[in-house]
Amino acid sequence: MTMRLGRFMCGTLLASAAFGGAVSACELKIGVPAVLSGPAAQWGIALRGATEFAAKEAMEEKRLVINGVACTISVKTIDSKYSAEGAASAASAFAAEGIKVIVGPVGSPEVTGMKPVATRNRMVAMVNSFAKNSIGPEWPTVFHIGPGPSGWAAPIIDAGLQRFKFKTAAIVAPNDQGGTDIASVNADIFKQRGVSVTEEYYQRGTTNFAPIVTRIMSSNAEALDLASSPAGDAGIIVKQMRQAGFTGPIFRLGGPGTDEIARVAGGLDILKDFLWYEPVYMDDKMRALEQKYEKLMGSARPENSDFFRWTFAARMMIKAVQIAGTVDNAEKISAAMRTLPVEDEHIGKGYWIGQKFFGINQEMSYPFAIGVIQGGVKQPFIRADAVSEK
Amino acid sequence: MDSFIATGLIGISLGSQYTLLALGFTLIFGILGVVNFAHGGFYVMGGYVAYYCNVILGLPYPVAVMLAMLSMAALGWLFESLILERVIEDHQATLMVTMGFYLVMATAILMIFGAESPQFPFPVTGVWRLGGIYFPYANMIVLGACLAAIVFVYWLVYRTNIGRGMRAMSEDLPVASALGMRTKALFPFAFALATGLAGGTGALVTPILALAPHVGDSVLAFSFLTVILGGLGSVTGATCAAFIVGLIEAYAAVYLGGSKGALTLFALVLIILVVRPQGLLGREVRRS
Repeated sequence: MTMRLGRFMCGTLLASAAFGGAVSACELKIGVPAVLSGPAAQWGIALRGATEFAAKEAMEEKRLVINGVACTISVKTIDSKYSAEGAASAASAFAAEGIKVIVGPVGSPEVTGMKPVATRNRMVAMVNSFAKNSIGPEWPTVFHIGPGPSGWAAPIIDAGLQRFKFKTAAIVAPNDQGGTDIASVNADIFKQRGVSVTEEYYQRGTTNFAPIVTRIMSSNAEALDLASSPAGDAGIIVKQMRQAGFTGPIFRLGGPGTDEIARVAGGLDILKDFLWYEPVYMDDKMRALEQKYEKLMGSARPENSDFFRWTFAARMMIKAVQIAGTVDNAEKISAAMRTLPVEDEHIGKGYWIGQKFFGINQEMSYPFAIGVIQGGVKQPFIRADAVSEK
Repeated sequence: MDSFIATGLIGISLGSQYTLLALGFTLIFGILGVVNFAHGGFYVMGGYVAYYCNVILGLPYPVAVMLAMLSMAALGWLFESLILERVIEDHQATLMVTMGFYLVMATAILMIFGAESPQFPFPVTGVWRLGGIYFPYANMIVLGACLAAIVFVYWLVYRTNIGRGMRAMSEDLPVASALGMRTKALFPFAFALATGLAGGTGALVTPILALAPHVGDSVLAFSFLTVILGGLGSVTGATCAAFIVGLIEAYAAVYLGGSKGALTLFALVLIILVVRPQGLLGREVRRS
């Protein structure tokens, strides 16, 4: 009797362990290295909000089902502080927890710091960054959320040239990879259009830009490009440029963040003539996505419109995990990702690109928009087609 | 020539802001022997208090600035008398406690107001122009307020009994105490004066630049740099060093560019400290 009871209990324990093991095997853990402090925090907040939303959406709608079991998705976010060491230590922390799927980070220094750690620990990552080496053949499991200024700066500059007359421009950006890589690409595109360019760099952490503004004013620039200066910095630069008497158009050929720039600068009147890259074209589908977020998460979506790109990126990652049928094999998930069409229910259809610029076809390209403020008044967005390499 | 003069104005403007911050920093070190790593936190929190009073509650801006100063002074007084006083004899403990308090303040701001910058405009707009020289009225008012505050601090430190008491404690604490100086009152007073100045500077400067939870980091760095250059504990040294730093920062950035300008500033400070390790007006030996 005692032996039977013992066998029964052992059997029950083994069965529960096996069943429990099957359930826990289907937990997708997504690591999110996001800048959550400093002047670039708005970008990180958008990344975190989008990934948490995509995870909740996938669980609610059972979008991730492996071997017949609906998977749970957990999101672990660490402040990567917009620095290489911050992102590298975040990636190491993810590796220590066995996390293999990464969405983020935002900035070039972060991506540069994270890539070696992610590759060494066999992680699959969907990164941003406008650096010239954001992705490449040496990092086969790293994918790019969308093109940098090489993909969209030209149509925005053209839109500016149609509206405003200028033959000289100054580009101002931080003096690290997050600034120099973008500024040099933008400078080339300005030059191709006959605009002579001066580049001004500043130390990240600068809070008073008056000396740099004086320097730019002395160069008699007729237009200004804020490139990838964080939104907080960009707002101060705009405010001080206008105080110094600068009346020309201002381009923002870096990440989005116009709302915060306007807040810091003192309103749309101060921005006056302003053009920027908007990651998506706001239409009914986008508004439906906003409403879906609000319904699911109980609050308005993060302000920065990079939210849409990160939602797309996180959804693509979850789709790739679904096709791969594994939550922790980076190579299989990467292979699955390459077979996926660039397509999202809200954002629309696009292409895989990157072979020409990076030497690897792992960059998503989809329709975007050009934002314009003219005379202090916001104009309707201009829709731009997805960049293609064909 | 115009840009040379305009740069000078920027340098003086920067110098006056650095002076207010450095004066508080050096007062705390000179009198209490404490390197206050929470100084940047009082600056940021002063900015947020002014923002809350002015933008959210709708109080007039000058009232908001006064409230920011007073509330930061009160917070400083409480922090010194309730927490710092307990470890004041242990130099390393004071470093850890002030650093920890800075993190608490920064996190509290982040949780209450969020990481994004709020809109906190200066109530006066417009720019004074003369040829190629320009000076925003807001900067002019802030410069005036900073200079008035500097004069007030000098009057307090050099012309009042409280100031004499503080200087006596800074010179020789045991003798000053034996002569009847009340450390229990003067220590928190000195700390409150310093944090009130930091809060007031934050309330004045953040509307002309930007208000965000992280802006205290660079303030702390520049205050430390200025005070080291002037000589730890020296009020006049801190004032001179603040204007030197402001002018070098402005001229180097304008004529050499943002990156080389920052490098030049730190290189010059390094050279000065190699030649005079005690700082411009610091004493060769000092107690802590």
